[in-house]
Amino acid sequence: MKREIVGKRAIRVDGHSKVLGKAEYPQDIQKQSMYHGKTLRSKKPHAYFKLNIDKAKNLKGVIAILTAKDVPYNHHGVLFKDHEIFCTNKVRRVGDPIAFVVAENEKIAKQAVEFIEIEYDEIPGVFDPIKAMEQSAPIVHKESNILYHYKIRKGNIENAFKQCEVIVENEYRTGMVDHAFLQPESGIAYMDENTVVVCASSQYPHFDQIEIAEALNIPTENVRVINPAIGGAFGGREDITLQIHIALATKLVGKPVKTTYSREESFLAHGKRHSMIMKYKTGANRQGKLVAMEANIIGDTGAYASWAPNVLRKAGVHATGPYEIPNVKVDSYAVYTNNPFAGAMRGFGAAQGPIAYEQQIDEIGRKLSIDPITIRKINGFKVGSETATGQILEASVPYIQCIESVGKALGLEQKEGIR
Amino acid sequence: MKDINLKINGKSYRLSTNEDMRLIDVLRDELGLLGSKEGCGEGECGACTILMEGRTVNACMVMAFQTDEKEIITIEGLSNGEQLHPIQQAFIEIGAVQCGFCTPGMILSAKAILDKDTNPTREMIRQGISGNLCRCTGYAKIVDAIELAGKLLRNGGNNCEA
Repeated sequence: MKREIVGKRAIRVDGHSKVLGKAEYPQDIQKQSMYHGKTLRSKKPHAYFKLNIDKAKNLKGVIAILTAKDVPYNHHGVLFKDHEIFCTNKVRRVGDPIAFVVAENEKIAKQAVEFIEIEYDEIPGVFDPIKAMEQSAPIVHKESNILYHYKIRKGNIENAFKQCEVIVENEYRTGMVDHAFLQPESGIAYMDENTVVVCASSQYPHFDQIEIAEALNIPTENVRVINPAIGGAFGGREDITLQIHIALATKLVGKPVKTTYSREESFLAHGKRHSMIMKYKTGANRQGKLVAMEANIIGDTGAYASWAPNVLRKAGVHATGPYEIPNVKVDSYAVYTNNPFAGAMRGFGAAQGPIAYEQQIDEIGRKLSIDPITIRKINGFKVGSETATGQILEASVPYIQCIESVGKALGLEQKEGIR
Repeated sequence: MKDINLKINGKSYRLSTNEDMRLIDVLRDELGLLGSKEGCGEGECGACTILMEGRTVNACMVMAFQTDEKEIITIEGLSNGEQLHPIQQAFIEIGAVQCGFCTPGMILSAKAILDKDTNPTREMIRQGISGNLCRCTGYAKIVDAIELAGKLLRNGGNNCEA
């Protein structure tokens, strides 16, 4: 068979427009007689609040100020509808959207946001996910802060640890990370007869359409979402940010409404990579063969769930890494706190674990005087291996070849006599 | 308000500017030259990189009044109509473009490097683009593309197969 595409170099369809600077990102879209929007965001992590928009509303050039009262259905979220489009009377994190000013230009919109009077009544917050799991912790939403618990039970961990020659135990922590995609969020919305058109960079336009329609309480066929050029995303554009705000605004004022976030607001607006606390205990026999692993993983999802159950499930499924281990006990949790919310980011829960399990493997090797390459060759997945979740890997498992190549590239085989 | 005279991509402009106006605002909002991107507004990301008097500057860090009597080149000034500049050709050819938001600034930094030396070392290239952040590519292909662009310029054409 003659291959036309596979193995051939292809020029990307948007390559030309991008090198010419002609690719259109949302901030590049201009409309005749458009208004500009600016979001008021919470400066407190956990508080009740009262709002007075009178002074801001009377500022010359202000067209409208939207708050929770202006939203027919004030809830959104990819898995659980735990975000409010505008907070009604309580904020759960710094950066929660509270109001949206529509004005003749950006300068006036910014000024009007400063003119909105907000009175916070702060309540105790919780910022450590371990404390958030305790009964006595302040509750971020309703009921428990633990929103997800995933378990793996394989073999018999207690018996297995008794038979181990070496056991290592440690706790590893990773911090939250921002995607820092290069194009800050921007969007423009306008009416096309009865249809609300929202033009914004998104990873999830079809779902945006549903969430916009729900919030505005209009049929989905009256919402059109246009995804122009996207300046990077990496998971950070899976949760909706400004799309509903500008849709509500244009429907209310009847003219195009545009908003563009600064870098600072971009950091406040979208989710982060989950910070994780990973407690690991790993045991091996005298030959360096892994016998048992126990992992307790706590993911801080901040004030909102976003994809937390999926992310922490993935963290749990991958908790043993690419290693054959017959006895496994994994518990992974997603926990609400009053920190910035966390969601999808490259790796989606699989990126944090290696920091823990690879160091455990190194530690085991050190105790048994086995070098890092050999200890991985002894335990690494190959065709026929069984994963912690019981999957038999039937094909394409080049881990051992990979680790051998790493050893060669590092020049380790001469130095340490690796087989 | 201050009146300024400046040359952008070979064309002369006379503009009246507000004192709080930055060069990026002049380019994007006043002149509709939307190829220069604003990624951070504080000179960190390099997405708004342009050439002023042949040197790379962040258009978000230059006030409009500072551009009086200056000569500026933006991404719009690189190609000759639809005929790509060799740097643009090389970026497409190598696959150095992903989301594209850093691309205009990156290409102008590349021009500044190659204007000085069409046969730079990889280290010189890395130094030359150190003010431009890219979140997609990991930079390797961008460095490759600038190397190829240097070769195209030395050969005097856009033929990547040569």
